[in-house]
Amino acid sequence: MKKKVLLMGKSGSGKTSMRSIIFANYIARDTRRLGATIDVEHSHVRFLGNLVLNLWDCGGQEAFMENYFASQRDNIFRNVEVLIYVFDVESRELEKDMHYYQTCLEAILQNSPEAKVFCLIHKMDLIEEDQREMVSPIVIKIFLTYFHSQIFREREADLIKLSKPMECKCFKTSIWDETLYKAWSAIVYKLIPNVQELEKHLQHFTEIIDADEVLLFERATFLVICHCERKPHRDVHRFEKVSNIIKQFKLSCSKLAAQFQSMEVRNSSFAAYIDIFTPNTYVMVVMSDSSIREFHFLSKHGAEIMIIISFLASAATLINIKNARKHFEKLEGVKTQNPPTAFAPR
Amino acid sequence: MLKPKTLTNVLSQANTGGVQCTLLLNREGTLLAYSGYGDKDARMTAAIASSIWLSYEKYGSVAFNEDNLKSYIVECEACCVSNGIFKLLLSQEGNVIVIKVSNVLLCMHANKSVPLGTLKAKITTLANYLEGPLTQVATT
Repeated sequence: MKKKVLLMGKSGSGKTSMRSIIFANYIARDTRRLGATIDVEHSHVRFLGNLVLNLWDCGGQEAFMENYFASQRDNIFRNVEVLIYVFDVESRELEKDMHYYQTCLEAILQNSPEAKVFCLIHKMDLIEEDQREMVSPIVIKIFLTYFHSQIFREREADLIKLSKPMECKCFKTSIWDETLYKAWSAIVYKLIPNVQELEKHLQHFTEIIDADEVLLFERATFLVICHCERKPHRDVHRFEKVSNIIKQFKLSCSKLAAQFQSMEVRNSSFAAYIDIFTPNTYVMVVMSDSSIREFHFLSKHGAEIMIIISFLASAATLINIKNARKHFEKLEGVKTQNPPTAFAPR
Repeated sequence: MLKPKTLTNVLSQANTGGVQCTLLLNREGTLLAYSGYGDKDARMTAAIASSIWLSYEKYGSVAFNEDNLKSYIVECEACCVSNGIFKLLLSQEGNVIVIKVSNVLLCMHANKSVPLGTLKAKITTLANYLEGPLTQVATT
C-alpha cells in the first residue's frame, strides 16, 4: 500500500534534515552536511512491511515554490495522504510563510481534499540559544518553558485559524531532542491502516503477561506506533525519549558492525525488555518489581507470619515475547513461507 | 503465554508442610519462576539442579541402556563440602527433588522432616498439573 506524503516549507526550514534523521539514520550533527534540496526529492520508505511511504521532499526556494503552485500543481498535489508543512520558528518573514502555507492548502483542498495536514514548528531549540546570556540557568529554564509554550500556542492558534476549512495538527519540534520523534510518531500513527486492531491485540498481550506497559516500535525508524499502558506513568515524553535513546544506541552498534537485537534493563522496582518482535517491529515490555510478595499467616503455633517470595524470572518474559511473536506476525500479514530472493527473476 | 501471577500462585501452593521453595527452570539452568520462603540463591539452585540433570541424562543414557531420566532426589547435609559450587547448595539441609515437565524442569527443596515419598507425591502432582499448559507454551 503506497501513501504519498508531501513535505513542504520554506527553504532552510529543516525538511530534509528531519527526514534524514527519521528515515535515513542520520544523527542530528550529520545534518550540517546536507545542502539545499533542488526541486523535489522522492524517496520510498518501507514502513511496517506492506506500507510504503512515498515521501516527496519539496525544495523550498521561492522559484520552486512558484513552480509547484503553477505548472506542477496537479502532479504535486494529487493523491496526497498527508501534508507536512514545516515552519522555521525563527523566520523573520512570517507573513510570507503564511501566504505560502495558505496557497499550499488551497492546492491541497482542490486536488486531494481528504489529506491530513500537520504543521511542525521547527527549530524550537534555537530560541533557547538566543537567551543563553541571561543570568541564572534555573530562571532561564522556567522562563523558557513559559516562553516556548507561549510562542507555540500563538503560532498554533494562528495556524488552526488559517487552515480552515481543513484541520491541522501542530507540533513543536527540534532535531536535538525527542520532540521530533513525538511529532513523527503521531504522523505515522495516522497512516497505519490496521492500527486499531494492532492496539487491541497489544492490549490483550499486555493483560495476559501482567506487564505495566508494552510499546511497539517500527524497526527502521524506532518510532512508537502503538502502545498499551496498564499502570500510569508520570513522564508523558517517555516514548520519544526511549525512541531517541535506543536509536542512538542502535546506530553506535552498527558502527561496530554489530546488529542491535535485544536489551534488558533492571532495577529494584522494574524490569524492561526490548527485543526484536516481528520482522518490522521491536517490542518493549515493562514489568514492575518481579517479586510478588505474598503474606501467609499460619496460626499453628500462635501467630506466625511467613513470607513467600514468588517471581517470574526474565527468561520467562522472553518466552512470552517469543510466543506472542508468531501471533503478531500473522496480524501483520508477514509471509514466512517465501522469503525474498536475492536474485530478481528476469 | 506464562501468566506471572497464575504460575507463581500454582508454585507457591506446594510450599507447605516443610517445603522451602519450588522453582521452574529450563534445561540450560535459567530460572523461569520461583516461589519460596526467601529467595536465597534461587538462580544458583536452578543452575546446579539443571547441571546435575544434564550430566545424569548424558551419562545415564549410556549406563542404563537409554532409559530416560524422569526425576532425581538429592539428599543435602548441613555440612559444607569444600567444592566451591556445591558448598552453597549443601549448606541448606534437606532434600531436593527435580522432575521433568514438558521440556522444562521443576525443582523442589524441602526440610529433612518431609518424607521422601511425600515429596515425590507432591512434585508428581504438581508436574502432572503443569504438564499440559507448559507443553503448549514450550518453545525453548
